[in-house]
Amino acid sequence: MISLSYNHFFILSTVIFIIGCFGLFLNRRNMILILMCIEIILLAANINFVSASVFLNDINGQVFSIFILTIAAAEAAIGLAILVIYFRNKGEIDITQINQLKD
Amino acid sequence: MFFVGSFFLFSAFLVTTCIFVIFSKNPVNSVLFLVLAFLNSTFLFILIGAEFVGIILAIVYIGAVAILFLFVVMMLDIQKVTLMLNIKKYIPIAAVFASIILAEIIYLTVYKTNKVNPDVITKYDNNTEQIGDVLYTKYFIDFQLSGIVLLLAMIGAIVLTHVYRPSIKRQNIDKQNTTSSTNRVQLVKIKSGQGIKND
Repeated sequence: MISLSYNHFFILSTVIFIIGCFGLFLNRRNMILILMCIEIILLAANINFVSASVFLNDINGQVFSIFILTIAAAEAAIGLAILVIYFRNKGEIDITQINQLKD
Repeated sequence: MFFVGSFFLFSAFLVTTCIFVIFSKNPVNSVLFLVLAFLNSTFLFILIGAEFVGIILAIVYIGAVAILFLFVVMMLDIQKVTLMLNIKKYIPIAAVFASIILAEIIYLTVYKTNKVNPDVITKYDNNTEQIGDVLYTKYFIDFQLSGIVLLLAMIGAIVLTHVYRPSIKRQNIDKQNTTSSTNRVQLVKIKSGQGIKND
Protein backbone atom coordinates (compact mmCIF):
# COMPACT_ATOMS: atom_id res chain seq x y z
CA MET A 1 0.00 0.00 0.00
CA ILE A 2 1.63 3.17 -1.17
CA SER A 3 0.40 6.62 -0.40
CA LEU A 4 0.44 9.35 -2.96
CA SER A 5 2.96 12.12 -2.46
CA TYR A 6 4.10 15.19 -4.32
CA ASN A 7 6.93 13.24 -5.93
CA HIS A 8 4.47 11.20 -7.99
CA PHE A 9 2.98 14.34 -9.50
CA PHE A 10 6.40 15.89 -9.92
CA ILE A 11 7.65 12.88 -11.91
CA LEU A 12 4.43 12.89 -13.97
CA SER A 13 4.79 16.56 -14.85
CA THR A 14 8.46 16.08 -15.71
CA VAL A 15 7.60 13.17 -18.02
CA ILE A 16 4.98 15.29 -19.80
CA PHE A 17 7.42 18.20 -20.05
CA ILE A 18 10.04 15.94 -21.61
CA ILE A 19 7.47 14.54 -24.06
CA GLY A 20 6.63 18.11 -25.12
CA CYS A 21 10.29 19.06 -25.56
CA PHE A 22 10.92 15.88 -27.53
CA GLY A 23 8.00 16.74 -29.78
CA LEU A 24 9.51 20.18 -30.38
CA PHE A 25 12.73 18.58 -31.49
CA LEU A 26 11.06 15.83 -33.49
CA ASN A 27 8.45 17.71 -35.52
CA ARG A 28 10.47 20.35 -37.25
CA ARG A 29 8.34 20.50 -40.37
CA ASN A 30 4.85 21.24 -39.13
CA MET A 31 4.20 24.49 -37.27
CA ILE A 32 0.88 23.50 -35.73
CA LEU A 33 2.42 20.51 -33.97
CA ILE A 34 5.01 22.84 -32.47
CA LEU A 35 2.18 24.95 -31.04
CA MET A 36 0.58 21.79 -29.62
CA CYS A 37 3.88 20.78 -28.02
CA ILE A 38 4.02 24.20 -26.36
CA GLU A 39 0.53 23.55 -24.99
CA ILE A 40 1.73 20.21 -23.60
CA ILE A 41 4.68 21.92 -21.91
CA LEU A 42 2.35 24.50 -20.33
CA LEU A 43 0.09 21.66 -19.17
CA ALA A 44 3.10 20.09 -17.43
CA ALA A 45 3.78 23.40 -15.69
CA ASN A 46 0.13 23.55 -14.63
CA ILE A 47 0.24 20.04 -13.16
CA ASN A 48 3.37 20.93 -11.23
CA PHE A 49 1.86 24.14 -9.83
CA VAL A 50 -1.47 22.61 -8.86
CA SER A 51 -0.06 19.48 -7.24
CA ALA A 52 2.49 21.50 -5.29
CA SER A 53 -0.31 23.81 -4.21
CA VAL A 54 -2.40 20.91 -2.96
CA PHE A 55 0.34 18.97 -1.22
CA LEU A 56 2.01 22.01 0.37
CA ASN A 57 -1.38 23.37 1.47
CA ASP A 58 -0.90 26.74 -0.19
CA ILE A 59 -3.55 28.19 -2.50
CA ASN A 60 -1.21 30.56 -4.42
CA GLY A 61 -0.13 27.81 -6.81
CA GLN A 62 -3.63 27.36 -8.13
CA VAL A 63 -3.95 31.11 -8.70
CA PHE A 64 -0.77 31.07 -10.74
CA SER A 65 -2.11 28.07 -12.63
CA ILE A 66 -5.04 30.26 -13.72
CA PHE A 67 -2.58 32.91 -14.93
CA ILE A 68 -0.70 30.26 -16.90
CA LEU A 69 -4.00 29.24 -18.50
CA THR A 70 -4.63 32.85 -19.54
CA ILE A 71 -1.21 33.23 -21.10
CA ALA A 72 -1.56 29.88 -22.88
CA ALA A 73 -4.87 30.91 -24.43
CA ALA A 74 -3.42 34.24 -25.62
CA GLU A 75 -0.36 32.50 -27.02
CA ALA A 76 -2.45 29.94 -28.88
CA ALA A 77 -4.61 32.67 -30.44
CA ILE A 78 -1.61 34.73 -31.63
CA GLY A 79 0.28 31.66 -32.85
CA LEU A 80 -2.66 30.37 -34.84
CA ALA A 81 -3.24 33.82 -36.36
CA ILE A 82 0.41 33.92 -37.48
CA LEU A 83 -0.04 30.39 -38.84
CA VAL A 84 -3.11 31.40 -40.85
CA ILE A 85 -1.43 34.40 -42.50
CA TYR A 86 1.71 32.35 -43.15
CA PHE A 87 -0.40 29.69 -44.86
CA ARG A 88 -2.22 32.40 -46.84
CA ASN A 89 1.06 33.78 -48.13
CA LYS A 90 3.02 30.58 -48.73
CA GLY A 91 0.41 27.89 -49.29
CA GLU A 92 2.12 25.55 -46.82
CA ILE A 93 3.20 25.52 -43.19
CA ASP A 94 6.68 24.15 -43.63
CA ILE A 95 8.73 25.50 -40.76
CA THR A 96 12.02 25.29 -42.68
CA GLN A 97 10.96 28.10 -45.00
CA ILE A 98 9.93 30.49 -42.25
CA ASN A 99 13.19 32.47 -42.27
CA GLN A 100 12.01 34.08 -45.48
CA LEU A 101 9.52 36.13 -43.47
CA LYS A 102 12.17 38.75 -42.77
CA ASP A 103 12.31 39.86 -46.41
CA MET B 1 -6.55 2.50 -2.70
CA PHE B 2 -9.10 4.05 -5.04
CA PHE B 3 -7.14 7.31 -4.91
CA VAL B 4 -3.79 5.74 -5.83
CA GLY B 5 -5.31 3.50 -8.50
CA SER B 6 -7.12 6.42 -10.10
CA PHE B 7 -3.94 8.47 -10.11
CA PHE B 8 -1.99 5.76 -11.91
CA LEU B 9 -4.81 5.12 -14.38
CA PHE B 10 -5.25 8.78 -15.31
CA SER B 11 -1.53 9.53 -15.44
CA ALA B 12 -0.92 6.50 -17.67
CA PHE B 13 -3.66 7.73 -20.01
CA LEU B 14 -2.19 11.25 -19.88
CA VAL B 15 1.33 10.15 -20.84
CA THR B 16 0.01 7.83 -23.56
CA THR B 17 -2.14 10.52 -25.15
CA CYS B 18 0.73 13.03 -25.02
CA ILE B 19 2.90 10.53 -26.89
CA PHE B 20 0.12 10.03 -29.44
CA VAL B 21 -0.11 13.81 -29.93
CA ILE B 22 3.51 13.85 -31.02
CA PHE B 23 3.57 10.74 -33.17
CA SER B 24 0.24 11.03 -35.02
CA LYS B 25 0.55 11.32 -38.78
CA ASN B 26 -2.65 13.29 -39.15
CA PRO B 27 -2.85 16.69 -37.35
CA VAL B 28 -6.59 16.23 -36.68
CA ASN B 29 -5.82 13.07 -34.71
CA SER B 30 -3.18 14.85 -32.68
CA VAL B 31 -5.60 17.66 -31.81
CA LEU B 32 -8.15 15.10 -30.63
CA PHE B 33 -5.50 13.35 -28.54
CA LEU B 34 -4.60 16.75 -27.09
CA VAL B 35 -8.23 17.12 -26.01
CA LEU B 36 -8.04 13.70 -24.35
CA ALA B 37 -4.82 14.67 -22.56
CA PHE B 38 -6.47 17.83 -21.18
CA LEU B 39 -9.47 15.77 -20.06
CA ASN B 40 -7.22 13.34 -18.20
CA SER B 41 -5.38 16.17 -16.47
CA THR B 42 -8.78 17.59 -15.49
CA PHE B 43 -9.58 14.27 -13.82
CA LEU B 44 -6.23 14.37 -12.03
CA PHE B 45 -6.86 17.87 -10.71
CA ILE B 46 -10.31 16.97 -9.46
CA LEU B 47 -8.85 13.82 -7.88
CA ILE B 48 -6.36 15.73 -5.74
CA GLY B 49 -8.92 18.35 -4.74
CA ALA B 50 -8.31 21.29 -7.05
CA GLU B 51 -11.78 21.36 -8.52
CA PHE B 52 -11.86 24.93 -9.79
CA VAL B 53 -8.63 24.72 -11.78
CA GLY B 54 -9.71 21.37 -13.19
CA ILE B 55 -13.02 22.66 -14.45
CA ILE B 56 -11.39 25.84 -15.78
CA LEU B 57 -8.87 23.65 -17.60
CA ALA B 58 -11.72 21.70 -19.20
CA ILE B 59 -13.61 24.85 -20.20
CA VAL B 60 -10.69 26.95 -21.42
CA TYR B 61 -8.48 24.32 -22.99
CA ILE B 62 -11.00 21.87 -24.38
CA GLY B 63 -13.73 24.40 -25.08
CA ALA B 64 -11.62 27.18 -26.55
CA VAL B 65 -8.01 26.39 -27.33
CA ALA B 66 -8.35 22.84 -28.66
CA ILE B 67 -11.39 23.77 -30.73
CA LEU B 68 -9.41 26.72 -32.13
CA PHE B 69 -6.65 24.30 -33.11
CA LEU B 70 -9.23 22.00 -34.67
CA PHE B 71 -10.74 24.81 -36.74
CA VAL B 72 -7.33 25.92 -38.00
CA VAL B 73 -6.27 22.36 -38.83
CA MET B 74 -9.45 21.72 -40.76
CA MET B 75 -9.28 25.10 -42.51
CA LEU B 76 -5.71 24.89 -43.71
CA ASP B 77 -5.59 21.68 -45.77
CA ILE B 78 -2.32 20.39 -44.40
CA GLN B 79 -0.46 17.49 -45.90
CA LYS B 80 0.77 14.54 -43.88
CA VAL B 81 3.39 15.30 -41.27
CA THR B 82 6.89 14.21 -42.07
CA LEU B 83 8.98 13.56 -38.99
CA MET B 84 12.51 14.76 -38.89
CA LEU B 85 14.82 12.08 -40.20
CA ASN B 86 18.27 13.41 -39.31
CA ILE B 87 17.72 13.25 -35.57
CA LYS B 88 21.25 12.00 -34.97
CA LYS B 89 22.58 15.50 -35.47
CA TYR B 90 20.81 16.71 -32.32
CA ILE B 91 21.71 13.84 -30.01
CA PRO B 92 24.65 15.58 -28.19
CA ILE B 93 22.54 18.67 -27.32
CA ALA B 94 19.65 16.46 -26.32
CA ALA B 95 21.93 14.36 -24.13
CA VAL B 96 23.17 17.47 -22.33
CA PHE B 97 19.63 18.75 -21.68
CA ALA B 98 18.35 15.32 -20.67
CA SER B 99 21.20 14.81 -18.20
CA ILE B 100 20.53 18.24 -16.66
CA ILE B 101 16.83 17.45 -16.21
CA LEU B 102 17.62 13.97 -14.86
CA ALA B 103 20.04 15.44 -12.32
CA GLU B 104 17.36 17.92 -11.22
CA ILE B 105 14.82 15.13 -10.79
CA ILE B 106 17.21 13.01 -8.75
CA TYR B 107 18.15 15.97 -6.59
CA LEU B 108 14.58 17.00 -5.95
CA THR B 109 13.16 13.55 -5.33
CA VAL B 110 15.96 12.10 -3.23
CA TYR B 111 17.72 14.89 -1.40
CA LYS B 112 14.99 17.42 -0.88
CA THR B 113 12.14 17.00 1.54
CA ASN B 114 8.98 18.88 0.83
CA LYS B 115 7.86 20.92 3.75
CA VAL B 116 4.15 20.86 4.35
CA ASN B 117 2.82 23.90 6.13
CA PRO B 118 -0.33 22.65 7.82
CA ASP B 119 -0.75 25.73 9.96
CA VAL B 120 -2.24 27.73 7.12
CA ILE B 121 -5.76 28.48 8.23
CA THR B 122 -8.16 29.46 5.51
CA LYS B 123 -11.55 30.94 6.09
CA TYR B 124 -13.26 28.76 3.53
CA ASP B 125 -13.59 25.04 2.97
CA ASN B 126 -14.55 25.38 -0.67
CA ASN B 127 -11.75 25.37 -3.22
CA THR B 128 -13.39 28.03 -5.40
CA GLU B 129 -13.92 30.37 -2.46
CA GLN B 130 -10.30 29.95 -1.38
CA ILE B 131 -9.05 30.89 -4.87
CA GLY B 132 -11.41 33.84 -5.10
CA ASP B 133 -10.34 35.08 -1.68
CA VAL B 134 -6.73 35.30 -2.87
CA LEU B 135 -7.28 36.17 -6.53
CA TYR B 136 -9.41 39.26 -6.02
CA THR B 137 -7.38 40.72 -3.16
CA LYS B 138 -3.71 39.77 -3.25
CA TYR B 139 -3.40 39.24 -7.00
CA PHE B 140 -5.88 41.89 -8.11
CA ILE B 141 -3.39 43.79 -10.31
CA ASP B 142 -2.21 40.55 -11.91
CA PHE B 143 -5.81 39.59 -12.57
CA GLN B 144 -6.47 42.86 -14.38
CA LEU B 145 -3.19 42.53 -16.31
CA SER B 146 -4.14 39.06 -17.50
CA GLY B 147 -7.37 40.55 -18.81
CA ILE B 148 -5.32 43.15 -20.71
CA VAL B 149 -3.16 40.35 -22.12
CA LEU B 150 -6.27 38.59 -23.40
CA LEU B 151 -7.56 41.83 -24.94
CA LEU B 152 -4.21 42.38 -26.68
CA ALA B 153 -4.24 38.81 -27.97
CA MET B 154 -7.73 39.30 -29.37
CA ILE B 155 -6.84 42.59 -31.07
CA GLY B 156 -3.60 41.13 -32.40
CA ALA B 157 -5.29 38.07 -33.86
CA ILE B 158 -7.95 40.20 -35.56
CA VAL B 159 -5.39 42.66 -36.95
CA LEU B 160 -3.15 39.87 -38.23
CA THR B 161 -5.83 37.89 -40.01
CA HIS B 162 -7.95 40.78 -41.30
CA VAL B 163 -7.91 41.17 -45.07
CA TYR B 164 -8.81 44.54 -46.62
CA ARG B 165 -10.76 44.01 -49.82
CA PRO B 166 -11.30 47.30 -51.76
CA SER B 167 -13.99 45.77 -53.96
CA ILE B 168 -16.46 45.48 -51.09
CA LYS B 169 -18.87 48.44 -50.73
CA ARG B 170 -18.73 49.89 -47.24
CA GLN B 171 -20.79 52.33 -45.26
CA ASN B 172 -19.15 55.76 -44.87
CA ILE B 173 -20.83 57.19 -41.79
CA ASP B 174 -19.16 60.65 -41.91
CA LYS B 175 -20.23 61.16 -45.50
CA GLN B 176 -23.75 60.03 -44.63
CA ASN B 177 -24.02 62.43 -41.74
CA THR B 178 -22.63 65.51 -43.51
CA THR B 179 -24.80 65.25 -46.59
CA SER B 180 -28.24 66.79 -46.82
CA SER B 181 -31.41 65.67 -48.49
CA THR B 182 -31.07 68.15 -51.37
CA ASN B 183 -27.92 66.38 -52.58
CA ARG B 184 -29.69 63.09 -52.81
CA VAL B 185 -33.30 63.69 -53.85
CA GLN B 186 -34.37 65.92 -56.71
CA LEU B 187 -38.01 66.92 -57.07
CA VAL B 188 -39.15 67.15 -60.64
CA LYS B 189 -42.48 68.48 -61.81
CA ILE B 190 -43.64 66.56 -64.83
CA LYS B 191 -46.13 68.05 -67.16
CA SER B 192 -48.72 65.76 -68.48
CA GLY B 193 -47.84 64.03 -71.74
CA GLN B 194 -44.13 65.02 -71.80
CA GLY B 195 -42.18 62.60 -69.60
CA ILE B 196 -38.65 63.10 -68.29
CA LYS B 197 -35.68 63.74 -70.54
CA ASN B 198 -32.79 61.56 -69.56
CA ASP B 199 -29.60 63.68 -69.65
